[in-house]
Amino acid sequence: MEIKTGDAFPIEEAEEQENLMKLKDEEFRKIRLAFLNILEDTEEARKSAEKERNKTLAIIKNLTDGLLLLDDNNRIKLVSPAAEISLEQSAEKLIGQNVFKITSESIDIAPLLQELSGEGKNEVKRLFKKEIKLGEKFYLEATTVFLETGLHDKSILLILHDISRDKLIEAMKTEFVSVAAHQLRTPLSAIKWTIRMILDGDVGKISADQRDLLEKTYASNERMITLINDLLNVTRIEEGRFLYKPEPMQLEDLVDAEIKNHEDALQMKKIRIKLDMPKELLPEVSIDKEKMGIVVQNLIENAIKYTQEGGLIGVSLGKDENNVIFKIKDSGVGIPEDQKERIFSKFFRGSNVIKMETEGSGLGLYTTKNIVEAHRGKIWFESKEGEGTEFYFTLPAV
Amino acid sequence: MAKKILIIEDDKFLRELMVRKLLSMDFEIVSAVDGEDGLTKIKSETPDLVLLDLILPGINGFEVLEKAKKDPATAKVPIIILSNLGQSEDIEKGMKLGAKDFLVKAHFTPQEIANKLKLILG
Repeated sequence: MEIKTGDAFPIEEAEEQENLMKLKDEEFRKIRLAFLNILEDTEEARKSAEKERNKTLAIIKNLTDGLLLLDDNNRIKLVSPAAEISLEQSAEKLIGQNVFKITSESIDIAPLLQELSGEGKNEVKRLFKKEIKLGEKFYLEATTVFLETGLHDKSILLILHDISRDKLIEAMKTEFVSVAAHQLRTPLSAIKWTIRMILDGDVGKISADQRDLLEKTYASNERMITLINDLLNVTRIEEGRFLYKPEPMQLEDLVDAEIKNHEDALQMKKIRIKLDMPKELLPEVSIDKEKMGIVVQNLIENAIKYTQEGGLIGVSLGKDENNVIFKIKDSGVGIPEDQKERIFSKFFRGSNVIKMETEGSGLGLYTTKNIVEAHRGKIWFESKEGEGTEFYFTLPAV
Repeated sequence: MAKKILIIEDDKFLRELMVRKLLSMDFEIVSAVDGEDGLTKIKSETPDLVLLDLILPGINGFEVLEKAKKDPATAKVPIIILSNLGQSEDIEKGMKLGAKDFLVKAHFTPQEIANKLKLILG
């Protein structure tokens, strides 16, 4: 560039120019300083963010539950050490992969992916403590949490909780009860057989007093046998292998048979039973006959037990759009208001009922509810203390 | 002629009670204390009916039943299971293997069991 000399700018103008430059210089210095300050702050913020991040990572690393973080394309962004152990794969192998495409040679991962995707869609489903079996003795409980940290920042947290050990202990407990119950049946059979043979006079004549005592012993022993049967039913419910080959049949037949089975007990307490059934056949229901028999039997027995002598029990069968409905109404002692919530829990017995000293294990309604629900039915009741109780259950029509 | 019953039962007391009851009803009784012994006696004693327990030392009742039903010499002998197992699976397994009936010990008295035998033997 050509620089003009000689009559360049007038002096004043040049001075003004110089002042301006000085001013700008000053301004630049200030700006520079401000920038440096900002940079320093940013650096500090970065450091503290990193510290936070390390803390979070340390928490994730040390969690006993496995964590997988997925981005909005279901790609794995983060894998915690516990998740590496559960999935038997290293984080390096998993990170970056689409969660639905992960494979494993050592464990069968398919059930997990199936649960995660719902029905074939490549979209993560909401799960809450969903129990998933991945191997003979390997169970995980999966939960998904949807995180929305910003408008375009959606991620999903997959939490894997290993419940194999809980399952093992549960199975051991169940097996223990089951074996113990079977073992108990043998001496109970011996007692039953012996007392019956003595009562039948097989080993000689007995006096009226002896007979009276032995009859009572026999009845106690029978109660014990029933209790063992109830316990066995409960363990089988808890093993989840309770229902056995349900078949379509008429609920009417089952109810009829169960009422006939209880004729003696009804007569003894002079209780009348009124059976109300529609004239035309109800739709069939798919049931495990033996287990559903336990349901109807339990409800009838309860009604008889808690109804005073000379009382009335009403049994009716009906239907709505999709279900067959069973109803049994007694004029018994009723269920106290404050105990209604616990009526279906294991070993629960009403306070008013315990005072009556009627026998009972507190397993009947627990078993009953579980059987009805295993048939995809519903069970509920209405009750007023001192007036009576009405139990209902429904079963889906075939 | 008195009908001959083979009782395969490892519990001594239960076996004695059952034997006593059946003797009083004019049956002829042979007893075995385990599966092996039972299988031998089904063949050698040619009983008219077998009462079979399931949980036995050595070979269990299901195996005894299966073997007895496979052997043409003993296949026709009616076998009644008398056990304290009694879940639906056990009952179905027993019936499939060819048992005539399945009785849960704790649910029947000796008299009731004896009556069943009479009915089956005619």
